[in-house]
Amino acid sequence: MLLDLLLDVVRTDPQRPFLITPDRTRAYAEVAEEAQDLARGLRAAGHVRVGIAVGDPATAIVLLIAASAAGVEPCVYPQGDATARGELAAQLGHEVVVVDDAPLSDIGALPVGALRGGAADLPDAPDDAVMILTSGTTGRPKGTRHRWSRLLTVVQAGEGAQQRWLLAYNMNQFAGLQVVLQALASGAAIVVPASVQPRHAVEAMRVHGVTHASATPTFWRFAAHLLQEPGAVRPALQQVTLGGEAIPEPVLAAIVALFPDARISQIYASSEFGSSVSVRDGRPGLPLSVLDRSDDAPVQLRIVDGELQARSSVGMVGYHGDADRDAGWHPTGDLVEIVDDRIRFVGRTSDVINVGGVKVAPLPIEEVVSAVPGVVAAVVYGRPNAVTGNVVATEVVAAEGVDADDLKARIRAAVTALPDAHRPRSIRIVDALDVRNQKLRRPTEPS
Amino acid sequence: MLAAAQDTVQDTVQKALVELLSRRETATAAPVITDETDLYADLELDSLEVAELSVLLEDELGTDPYSQGIVPRTVGELVAFYG
Repeated sequence: MLLDLLLDVVRTDPQRPFLITPDRTRAYAEVAEEAQDLARGLRAAGHVRVGIAVGDPATAIVLLIAASAAGVEPCVYPQGDATARGELAAQLGHEVVVVDDAPLSDIGALPVGALRGGAADLPDAPDDAVMILTSGTTGRPKGTRHRWSRLLTVVQAGEGAQQRWLLAYNMNQFAGLQVVLQALASGAAIVVPASVQPRHAVEAMRVHGVTHASATPTFWRFAAHLLQEPGAVRPALQQVTLGGEAIPEPVLAAIVALFPDARISQIYASSEFGSSVSVRDGRPGLPLSVLDRSDDAPVQLRIVDGELQARSSVGMVGYHGDADRDAGWHPTGDLVEIVDDRIRFVGRTSDVINVGGVKVAPLPIEEVVSAVPGVVAAVVYGRPNAVTGNVVATEVVAAEGVDADDLKARIRAAVTALPDAHRPRSIRIVDALDVRNQKLRRPTEPS
Repeated sequence: MLAAAQDTVQDTVQKALVELLSRRETATAAPVITDETDLYADLELDSLEVAELSVLLEDELGTDPYSQGIVPRTVGELVAFYG
């Protein structure tokens, strides 16, 4: 299925760039050939499902295309050592995991090199299963079972011959896969930076003339900082996409100011429900109209007890180890409020802080703290407390040269606008916030 | 040495209480805080203020009485916890 998209381009424009990495550029024809070779190797190896734990995202992309052509269900693993890889393989029931290289003694590891030069025939109608891991911000990642065909239904195929898409996600992330599918369906090129760190990604955008960039708000916050430096060259982006976590208003405003000519899209998507909403009006939150979608819309949304629920025909088939999920409504885990005719995200259900029986969502507090002059970034979380169960706590990165005591006093003054139980009672100035997969992680402390 | 440590505890408790009281919407003149001052009857601390007091003390002094299941009534009892 993915291979067909590659071959469509190969027929008319075989030398069009597809994968641009720091060291080389691979054309559509070259990738198609490599993918078919690896597909024959995967077919010959005889496994129905494989894990993929290779260091280079470009290799992971070729392996995904190969697996799709071979009818093998692939699942890209997050970065990790051999122990983490083994645990995940056991959890997901993968007999083998494709790796860059491994000693012969490592029987569960299948080196990419061993797949090359395979002689098996490829099926005409391969099975189109793919497994995607949840982000696992709380607890272990879960495997979600998907179909390439369902994922591709909501990808808009454009005329991408001149487009260069930045890969600012890891390939184990749902959003990373979305970028690859979008580029494939449009015949565009994918620019793979040396890492997903904003500094590397901004460098790659400049060097390789990126036109389309999709990343998390946390990524864009730091990238905007780099691009606002005096003398910084801004890439000529036509499209900027934000997704993967709630989008703070100041980040959205910074992007609109940095790229006045670009189309700005906010994506609401998850590995469970698929790509659900794309907002292009530059305003924070989702429009209320998403609640009025017809019964045949790919994803429908409603709000029940302050939580967004979804009914999706393009999301996962089910979790790994579970029966297929029914086609009805399911909770998203995202808590929302309606403010000024918009659906605003206030936090995940798992982020709610219970302060003496009052349930407090973190995002509106983060917005207040982040808006205090001298605050670069802030995260709000629950700190266990003997008196009230928890108190609201915040970790703050201060701008250079700001006095810590003054900043704490300004934050305390700003939060008096919030209800009593919502005010941070613990303020810590830190050097950096915990960011993983370019998403902010809320600290957890043992009680 | 012990006296100096006790002074530090006394200072930290005083500072934490003054900080909390100064933020009240109806801030009154800084009260005189002595060992006999009752946290509830005199200062009228509510549960969120006591929670914050415990956080401030834990951060400054490494531990606090509340997390040990002790609920001091007066400033003197609070300071004595660290003795």
